[in-house]
Amino acid sequence: MFGPTPARDIGLVAGFELREMLRSRRALGVILLYLLAASFLAYLFVSVLQTVQDAAKNPAAFLANARTRPDAPGPGRPPGVRRGGPVFAPSPSDKPSQGILTARGSIFNALIFSQFADAETRESLEKQPPIVLYYVLTSFFFVPLLIMLTSAETVAQEHQSRGVRFVAMRTGRAEFALGKALGQGALLALVTLLAGAVCLGIAAWKLSDFTWGTGLESLLVFWPRVLAYSLPFLGVAAFCSMNSASVMSARVFALLGLFALWLAHHAAGLYTGSPLESWFRVLDFLTPYAHQDDLWRPTWSVVGPQVLVLAGLTIGYLCLGLLFYRRRDL
Amino acid sequence: MSGVAAEALTTDDAALCLRAVGKSYGRIRALDGLDLVVPRGSVFGLVGPNGAGKTTTFSIACGWLRADRGEVDLLGGGAFDPARHRGRVTALPQDSALGRDMTVVDQLTYLGRLQGVGPREIRGEVERILKLVDLTERARDRIRTLSHGMLRRVGIGQAFLGDPELVLLDEPTNGLDPRQAHSIREFVAAQRGTRTIVISSHNLHEIETVCDHVALIDRGRVVMAGPISAVTGRDGEVRIGLAEGPVPLAEVRAALPGDRTEWDEAARTLTLRFQEQAGRATEDVIGAALHALLAGGARISSVTRGQSLERRYLDLPAAAPPPLPGSGAAADP
Repeated sequence: MFGPTPARDIGLVAGFELREMLRSRRALGVILLYLLAASFLAYLFVSVLQTVQDAAKNPAAFLANARTRPDAPGPGRPPGVRRGGPVFAPSPSDKPSQGILTARGSIFNALIFSQFADAETRESLEKQPPIVLYYVLTSFFFVPLLIMLTSAETVAQEHQSRGVRFVAMRTGRAEFALGKALGQGALLALVTLLAGAVCLGIAAWKLSDFTWGTGLESLLVFWPRVLAYSLPFLGVAAFCSMNSASVMSARVFALLGLFALWLAHHAAGLYTGSPLESWFRVLDFLTPYAHQDDLWRPTWSVVGPQVLVLAGLTIGYLCLGLLFYRRRDL
Repeated sequence: MSGVAAEALTTDDAALCLRAVGKSYGRIRALDGLDLVVPRGSVFGLVGPNGAGKTTTFSIACGWLRADRGEVDLLGGGAFDPARHRGRVTALPQDSALGRDMTVVDQLTYLGRLQGVGPREIRGEVERILKLVDLTERARDRIRTLSHGMLRRVGIGQAFLGDPELVLLDEPTNGLDPRQAHSIREFVAAQRGTRTIVISSHNLHEIETVCDHVALIDRGRVVMAGPISAVTGRDGEVRIGLAEGPVPLAEVRAALPGDRTEWDEAARTLTLRFQEQAGRATEDVIGAALHALLAGGARISSVTRGQSLERRYLDLPAAAPPPLPGSGAAADP
């Protein structure tokens, strides 16, 4: 018979956390929140792509429409320019190739590609369905915020209700907190994957040239990267949750933590050339933000080490939280 | 506290030992050098007014709170550590909530598994506990649908999962109806000798009924502790109530030379204080006193051994109410 081990305890706590979230509909709430956000953003994006696609199919009609019914001049908008901006009006010399237009025909792709100097990355990204790139970009932006809002409460909730005292008699605090974090991690993996699937679904519904095979393949390449990028934020949320007495204080603490990470990331740029720059570079390295760009790269020789660093950061944040947590009163 | 120090202070017959334990919440001193030794196998009552430090004592013993100073030892293994005490020490915390959306069975299974009950044994163990706390019919219901009393019973049940050596129960019958409370008291009393149980309660009658040892806590210190019989004077004090009629005090004193007798005219109660001696049990003292009283023509209305725990508690200097006017008393050494 196997006796109680830390790994077994962490698994038990994580399993119970997941079941409790599903029973309490907390998980459902989190899933709905992610999926609604993904649906809304994906719909907006796909609508823009669809406009481009339509224009590509019939550029003459599109241009005629644009010329005969110009928007009224508005504040900050010159006469004759549509609300969407001139980027959506292709020049008459453009060839109506759907594949190229859905990949290249939006300002979004231009934004994504322009941040990479190397041609290899640009070429690699050009081959990806834009909806997947959009999913990755919005996930990088929104998932940290959603994590702070939804995951920071897990351990703090147990402190608030003092339910932790039942568990603290039976397992260590580290096992308890890590189990909770693991449960949250599993839920995060599920919701980010589902959010990606929803994005693909909306693209399939709205875009005529969308192919599920390419979309899924691309999602399976980028979803693990989204997850790897999100985990350190989960570590920060766990840190805040472990060391808060109530749900509300944990959420506030977590949002402040997110802001602190963002600040640490951008401080290095502000202090370029100053004697403190090297310190700020180190500080920046300890934030997940510093490793975001490399997650777009096509080669695993670049992505792999970044994933390892992000995993290390996750463990580091959790261990730092445990350092305080093991000494606090329950 | 170092492990060596903890072992040094532990005696083999102590399940729980606290030495000079202090704990403050900001400027409020909750425990002020508290000393407490709970003998193994006893049912031990912890009594005290609100804010006396009972729950803090429990919380420190269970490792939920860290003591500012002093030493704590459980079962000879030092301060609480899940690695050492898992499954051996369990507790019913006060005002702690279980997962509201889980079923009773799920919750007990989870806690039992964490405690170390094997996957094959857990089902039978949970069924045993559900039967014990009379919740078999509500096993599949969610925790949030249970009444306060039922929640308390689930809490008590989880404390008896497995085979713990030391169980700490904070206000276990609080919120239970009289029948349920009686059932729990019967169960706890039946555990005497098989495991050590520490009960914190305001219900002094309950403590007196169930426990064999007691400690009275006030202002973060133990002010009185020992076997219930010693604290209540059950083996050193007899109180005899007399109806209207003669009070033959001289005959009683003659029959019990060397023992202390007190006559309370207002309560018409004769109190005998004595020390048990070889060849003379409490029953012998009662017999001699009653014989003398009856021979003197007294009409006896009641005989009680010692004082109730409540009376002892109220007589403590810290908790004593102001004396009632006109309560005269005659004492004779």
